Amino acid sequence: MTTESTECCKSTDSADSTECCKSCPLTHLGYFYAALLLRIWLAVRAIQTGLEKYVGTVGSDQPVMIDGKPNVHGLTAATNIKEYALSHYHGVPEGLFKKFATEPLMRLPGPIEDGLKNIYKSMGGKINGEKLADAPAAWEKFMQEPVMLNMYNLVLGPALLVLGFTILFGIASRTSLFLLGLLYISLTWGLILIKQDDGISWLGIHMILVVMALMLAKYNSFCLLKKW
Amino acid sequence: MINRRDFLAKTAAGAGAGLVLGTPGLLSAASTGSPSNKLNVALIGHGKQGQVLFESMKNIPGLHFQAVCDIWEYNRKIAVGHVRALQKHTPKDYENIEDLLANEKGLDAAVIATPDFWHSPHTVKCLEAGLNVYCEKMMSNTIDGARAMVKAMEKSGKLCQIGHQRRSNPRYRFTLDQLINGNKICGQIVNANAQWNRAVKSSQNIAYAEKLTIKQDILTKYGFKDMHQFMNWRFFRDLSGGAISDLGAHQIDIFNWFLGAVPKSVYATGGNSYFTQREHFDNVMALFDYDTPQGQVRAFYQVLTTTSSGGGYWESFMGTEGTIKISENSATTEIFKEASPAPKDPNAPKDPNEKASSLSWDNLVQRGFLGRKAAPVVAPVAGGVTDSRVSAPPEGFSLPGELNKPPHQPHLENFFASVRGEAKLNCDARHAFLSEAPIYFVNPSALSKQPIVFTPEQLSV
Repeated sequence: MTTESTECCKSTDSADSTECCKSCPLTHLGYFYAALLLRIWLAVRAIQTGLEKYVGTVGSDQPVMIDGKPNVHGLTAATNIKEYALSHYHGVPEGLFKKFATEPLMRLPGPIEDGLKNIYKSMGGKINGEKLADAPAAWEKFMQEPVMLNMYNLVLGPALLVLGFTILFGIASRTSLFLLGLLYISLTWGLILIKQDDGISWLGIHMILVVMALMLAKYNSFCLLKKW
Repeated sequence: MINRRDFLAKTAAGAGAGLVLGTPGLLSAASTGSPSNKLNVALIGHGKQGQVLFESMKNIPGLHFQAVCDIWEYNRKIAVGHVRALQKHTPKDYENIEDLLANEKGLDAAVIATPDFWHSPHTVKCLEAGLNVYCEKMMSNTIDGARAMVKAMEKSGKLCQIGHQRRSNPRYRFTLDQLINGNKICGQIVNANAQWNRAVKSSQNIAYAEKLTIKQDILTKYGFKDMHQFMNWRFFRDLSGGAISDLGAHQIDIFNWFLGAVPKSVYATGGNSYFTQREHFDNVMALFDYDTPQGQVRAFYQVLTTTSSGGGYWESFMGTEGTIKISENSATTEIFKEASPAPKDPNAPKDPNEKASSLSWDNLVQRGFLGRKAAPVVAPVAGGVTDSRVSAPPEGFSLPGELNKPPHQPHLENFFASVRGEAKLNCDARHAFLSEAPIYFVNPSALSKQPIVFTPEQLSV
């Protein structure tokens, strides 16, 4: 881990302390806290949002209890239990996915899409059909119609998780924040397509926070990789 | 803490407890003796209803579908495909049930879902061949056909369950045992009401692809005038009892089961309001009179194939203290408590088993017998004056649980458990006959525009 020099902080009123301690947490404690809070907020927001992409519900039928004992008639009460699993993954929620699927701008330009499909077929995959044993599973999901939306659907969750953790641990913070901003722009674009103005405003707030975090990046401390 | 498997095992045994009209459950077979308890099953008829039953049977362990029979090659291929997909075994398929019974050895049971006019001949043949039978309702298109099934069951000593699947439905059994009989939440049941209303769109002729038409000699051999009649046999008087038996039989059975009685008369009316070219009425209304142990009950039933008005299908039991409106569709099920319970008759003989009605409903909620719904919203009355004759809105309650499987599955489970000797039938042919017999007189009453008062001979085997 990169550690800050604390030598100059012993006498913050020394003549050369201004240059020496630009990034010293104790010199700019307020900025340091601001950067840290923003960093944690954005990281938690991204990580938990990414995790929620892996949420599903598992139904469980429990016997109805009469006088504290299971009834003898076989009457059951269904309870849904929230569960995280890779198999539950859904990058774009189903309702939104259906809306996006009808959007013409969600399609890749024809030559690019055809090229990708040809590569996929040459690897033994089928489009919108039965999966062949030797076709890579990830490709199988990737290549179903509409291709671009499926790709985005597949990437969104992992991207949020990766960026969330890189921001949290201070790995290339500025680049990570920049990429997170791009991700929010992509989400914003999708919401513009389906005219969800509330969501756009919501993402606009996220963008402001990302920009603020970038502006405060020089006060960032406790980073695994300060470069970039 | 009891786990789900223990619970299901215990409740399966409980579901086998008997009732006649209220307490069926006469018969159970001896254990098959098979070490694996595997049951070899023949599927007789694999049309729409046969496929519904198969979807339920898929969930029941220990069944081996050995052979399938249907006069339509198209249905046979579907049946073979379904069985092969399920158990990786290709069953032998037959056009003719006699060939199936002659060639297939080791069968334990037959599941019959053929047109109504074939139910009785098919059931009798299977029982005489030593098979246990699950046969779809209505038992037959004629009361004599139904009688023949009861006689064949009793003569063969084999089991014959009729497909009134609500009799094995935990929601219905709980409602009858715990709410109506056990805690008497309805008080005295004074009226019953049920309906099956279906939109015109859902009552259209069933179409077929010309290339799939069955050869005429085969259709004739099996009693069908043509392919249209084969596909739409429910609309023809010689082949079916019409809507009152197709749909009404399920619900009129619930009248008889829940009231613990058979009606003493029926007065019906019907006609062809929309489907004017059909032999059977498209709309039928019937009024049954009962003398129950509690007192007189009038039960009104309507089956309308021309409108879905009134929320589809349900049965309602109206009492002096509460009403239970129940349906296979849990969304339609509702329970109401009368806002002002009936005053107690000071001269009435004291019933030592009577529940204290004033406290029982809240108590029943606490104990788990009932769920509570939101309090009714009372709309303000124009002018601020309420008619003193208007009853206050009743408080709503709900059943505390659901059926967590396809609606036919518990009834089939009960049948196969009975074949294994582990349970007793919930609706054997004799009890089904008692319940179905009055239904055979609905169309005659409507046609003659006369009430029919039943004689004991009419309702007996």
